[in-house]
Amino acid sequence: MTGERPLALVLLEMTLLVLAGPLVTGAIQKMKARLQCRQGAGVLQPYRDLTKLFRKGTVQADTASGFFRSIPVLVVAATVAAGAFVPVVRAGPPAFPLGDALMLLGLLALARFLTAVGALDAGGAFGGMGASREMTIAPLVEPVLMMVVFSTAIAAGTTELGALAAHRGTSWLLAWSAADFLGFAAMLLLLPAETGRIPVDNPDTHLELTMLHEGMLLEHSGPGLGCMVLASHTRQIVIVAVASALFFPVGPAGAGVVGVLVGAGAFAGKILALAIYLALVESSYAKLRLFRVPQYLGVGFVCALTALALRIL
Amino acid sequence: MSEEALHAVIDDLGALLLFTMILIVAAGQIYRAIYAVSAQSLLIAIAAAVLATATGNRDLWVIAGVTLAVKAVALPWVLHWIVQRMDIRREIEPVIPIAATLALSVVIVVASFQLTTSLGPVRQAIAGNALPVGISLTLTGVLVMATRKTALTQMVGLFASENGIFFTAMAVTQGMPLIIEIGVILDVILAALVMTILVLRVRSTVDADVADLDRLRG
Repeated sequence: MTGERPLALVLLEMTLLVLAGPLVTGAIQKMKARLQCRQGAGVLQPYRDLTKLFRKGTVQADTASGFFRSIPVLVVAATVAAGAFVPVVRAGPPAFPLGDALMLLGLLALARFLTAVGALDAGGAFGGMGASREMTIAPLVEPVLMMVVFSTAIAAGTTELGALAAHRGTSWLLAWSAADFLGFAAMLLLLPAETGRIPVDNPDTHLELTMLHEGMLLEHSGPGLGCMVLASHTRQIVIVAVASALFFPVGPAGAGVVGVLVGAGAFAGKILALAIYLALVESSYAKLRLFRVPQYLGVGFVCALTALALRIL
Repeated sequence: MSEEALHAVIDDLGALLLFTMILIVAAGQIYRAIYAVSAQSLLIAIAAAVLATATGNRDLWVIAGVTLAVKAVALPWVLHWIVQRMDIRREIEPVIPIAATLALSVVIVVASFQLTTSLGPVRQAIAGNALPVGISLTLTGVLVMATRKTALTQMVGLFASENGIFFTAMAVTQGMPLIIEIGVILDVILAALVMTILVLRVRSTVDADVADLDRLRG
């Protein structure tokens, strides 16, 4: 279903994304647990964790400056704002001036930067190490993500995600051109890196020296930590939604409340498919050594570049 | 099958072939390279079948079947068998870092696309992107052969390179004479057998690999 998206719809979609973010994490955790023959916590566990965190008090390192307190709020604000750019229940450009995919990636990069600054500000050793590692990985991931966006944007002539999704249409594999296969391959390689999962990062542990993202959250506590965790849930669903907007078909047409519900159902299906992919990858691969990560991301880079070459040449 | 649909399918298969080639170049373990080259041969067989349905050329069905049996199943199985027999380390040994090889392969892909655009009329006559994809597969296969120290990974490079030639030949001529195709496949089988025996013999007599054989002693 296409057509311009009014402001109310964009806001509704953004809220939906933020509310569904923890659910995706919960679903992935549950699937991982089942794959490891464990019962696992319920899919609603991330919500319980969040409410618990928001009820707690805050403890802050003596070395942290005043800016440290505002970092979780800024990070969650940037990530949630990024959620506004993704089409959820229906495709089509927004009816009012809004940013495009580049703005979205920029906001996510801003959130990442603020997280790293916060980790360095608190002065903890783990935080600093996590930040330095995250900043090593980030410049390898972000350009590739941008090239994947470009490789589809060239065909549609726009970088606005809603318009890109509308251009993708309702047909799927049959309408894929050669470049889409390589772009999708690059996207699949990038998804675990961008969502902070194995083989690049390990989301389950706070105790290993190999961690990237979790290491940066160690100094946060209470509502601040809650904000950071909510931001990483939201970041994950935003990236997955970008992948589905770029490569998956839009939901079937419909109007009014029914159309929105059908669109939301189709969106849930697409997100679930990618969540299953993430859970499978996490369960079947070991975490890469940090020095092997650039090589892994290099494969994604080459795929994206080849997709771009196929599109242009 | 219409002309446009054929072009689109060959284009898509070309993209998947390039993807398997990237996997071969990036593979850090020999098993992955073997699986990737097997998948690549499978895609070549599919391409042959697609061209067979499109052109009605019966020889191409034979080619598809032979490719599937020999290059997608038998040769990878032989490679697998040698790897197990020799009990070699899982890591493959590149001469230059794998990241550099990946960068070079990008250069090759872009260059072959760029260079074939100057062949305008020729490229128009060929289904889809088959010509640049075939050329880049061939050259990247050579690159893999040149940048690996062990004979087995060089064999993988040879097979990939051969796949590229095969793909180009198939798309350019809409099916070469059967006798030539069979001859080419027999060549590959023979090369694989000779190299297999050579690798095993060299290994068992002097315990060296091809990288060590760089000096001629009189």
